[in-house]
Amino acid sequence: MNVNAERYDAIPAASRKRRWGPRMWPYLFALPFVLTYAAFQLYPILYSFVLSLHDWNGIGAKTYIGFKNYVQLWTNDPLFIKSLWNTLLMMLMFIPLTLILGLTLAYWTFQLTRGKRFFQTINVLPYITTPVAIGFIFSYMFDWQTGLVNLLLTKFGILEEGFYWLQDPWGSRAIIALMVIWRNLGYFMIIFMAGMTVIPQDVYEAAKVDGSTGLHTFLRITMPLLRNITVFLVVTSMIGGLQLFDEPKLLYGGWSGSAQVGGPDNTALTMIWKFVDESFISNTRFGYASAIAYSLFLLIVLFSVISYRLTAPKEDKR
Amino acid sequence: MKALMWICLVIISLLSLFPFYIMTVMGTHYNEDLFKGIPIFPGSYLQENLKTVLKADFLHVYGNSLIVSVVSVVLATLTSTLIGYAVAKFEFKGRKWLQTFVILTMMVPTQVGLIGYIIEMRHLGVGNTLWPVILIWAAFPFGAFFMIQFMRDSIPNDLLECARIDGCSEPGIFVRIVLPIMKPGLATLATLVFLWSWNNYLLPLVTINKSEWYTLPIFISNLGIVHRTDYAARMAALTMTTIPVLILFILGSKTFMKGLTAGAVKG
Repeated sequence: MNVNAERYDAIPAASRKRRWGPRMWPYLFALPFVLTYAAFQLYPILYSFVLSLHDWNGIGAKTYIGFKNYVQLWTNDPLFIKSLWNTLLMMLMFIPLTLILGLTLAYWTFQLTRGKRFFQTINVLPYITTPVAIGFIFSYMFDWQTGLVNLLLTKFGILEEGFYWLQDPWGSRAIIALMVIWRNLGYFMIIFMAGMTVIPQDVYEAAKVDGSTGLHTFLRITMPLLRNITVFLVVTSMIGGLQLFDEPKLLYGGWSGSAQVGGPDNTALTMIWKFVDESFISNTRFGYASAIAYSLFLLIVLFSVISYRLTAPKEDKR
Repeated sequence: MKALMWICLVIISLLSLFPFYIMTVMGTHYNEDLFKGIPIFPGSYLQENLKTVLKADFLHVYGNSLIVSVVSVVLATLTSTLIGYAVAKFEFKGRKWLQTFVILTMMVPTQVGLIGYIIEMRHLGVGNTLWPVILIWAAFPFGAFFMIQFMRDSIPNDLLECARIDGCSEPGIFVRIVLPIMKPGLATLATLVFLWSWNNYLLPLVTINKSEWYTLPIFISNLGIVHRTDYAARMAALTMTTIPVLILFILGSKTFMKGLTAGAVKG
């Protein structure tokens, strides 16, 4: 390459084009991604922002109204606030539980000498299942009359008669959280296990020499060393959790055939559900719905920054 | 202690498998029997259920889903591999900037632009077809990030230099040297994209409302609503939907897990 560069001046203009060749390639290679991203993701995102400043139903004329959509959304739409509250509540239910269960499961499986891959594979199966299937299965299992859960509970005399799981405000949220946990547990487990493989074995040996055993080793060595992985899982599941939609929608919209929006008294309405409902199902308020999407985006940025901030300083000390 | 651990592991694994089992078993019963009790053992109504499903144009929808997933996989892996190669293996002006760009794109949720995307698709005249569900995968930020990391670790710079000195053209190097080395990475990314596009529910839900273009998730959630809600048939259809992904997963469970964990361990 250097040789080429030295001779560069001596080359007549005609072949200078060929010299530009090698330097052009990386740009050409990067081009398809950049172009398709700009066309199918960046442009829609910017366009949505423009829409969020308009009052538009998708057909008629757009009216520019500035930030009125946002003001309306945050000060005068109790249903939006409720959907935000619901989403946060469900996240509070499933993120800590999935973390704890996933870590325990990973720790146990990691210690196995045989059958590691077997348990891993089985527990990841829910993660690869179609959300539609998960929605149907859970609404069947928790059905008031014929559901498996009620049948078992009444059979063993825990309940006198079936509990109306899907029509109870807290029941509905808990079931959605359960669906998310069931789906993601295996994923959390393999991520934690991947983190454990990276921890060098001699750290454990040193601990053993110092007389640390079992639970102590787990709490004092494994867990602190898995810090980065945990941060990754918390941040990504917060981002994913704020976008919760498939589970609640399929729990209520799929199985029963009725298109009940939001579950009982809207207690299962998440922000994305509200967004989709406002723009494509009950309404076509594209401007207003875009404002919901952007508010969600801001929340996601805010949550990511906060969770990075909470964890970053401690990392610097180490 | 060890025994307790095993018991817990087995119970949790059974809980993971149980819904699958129920799904498969429900597909083999007569619909109205489902509500008489818990279907624990397989029934004998599978054939009839399959008939109901097939009569509802299941194969056509299956084809749609396959087209969507296969084309998405090709598009996503192609653009991701190319940009991955550029960022990981070339020194050029704007390389740092491109890398930051990829990481930023990874953090923007697709839903933010959903409305704009759909309006754009309508303007392009492909609003109610399979295209919107496919094109969203044309630029897949996670894929690009994954490929940058993978290229960096697995392709020796010397090899590329040698090929250049031997007079191999840049596209030639990419096709003859880079792609063969990248096979495991390509397989991982392809499985992931296949899985995610196959299971995608939100996007087809809001873009496709012609039954001719339904993909599997949308088709099943609408199956048998017209005359009577046939849960058993739905379950049979769901089982058939899950099976290809299941096979893919079990065949490539090793590469698959590698793909899932790729982003995490590096942080």
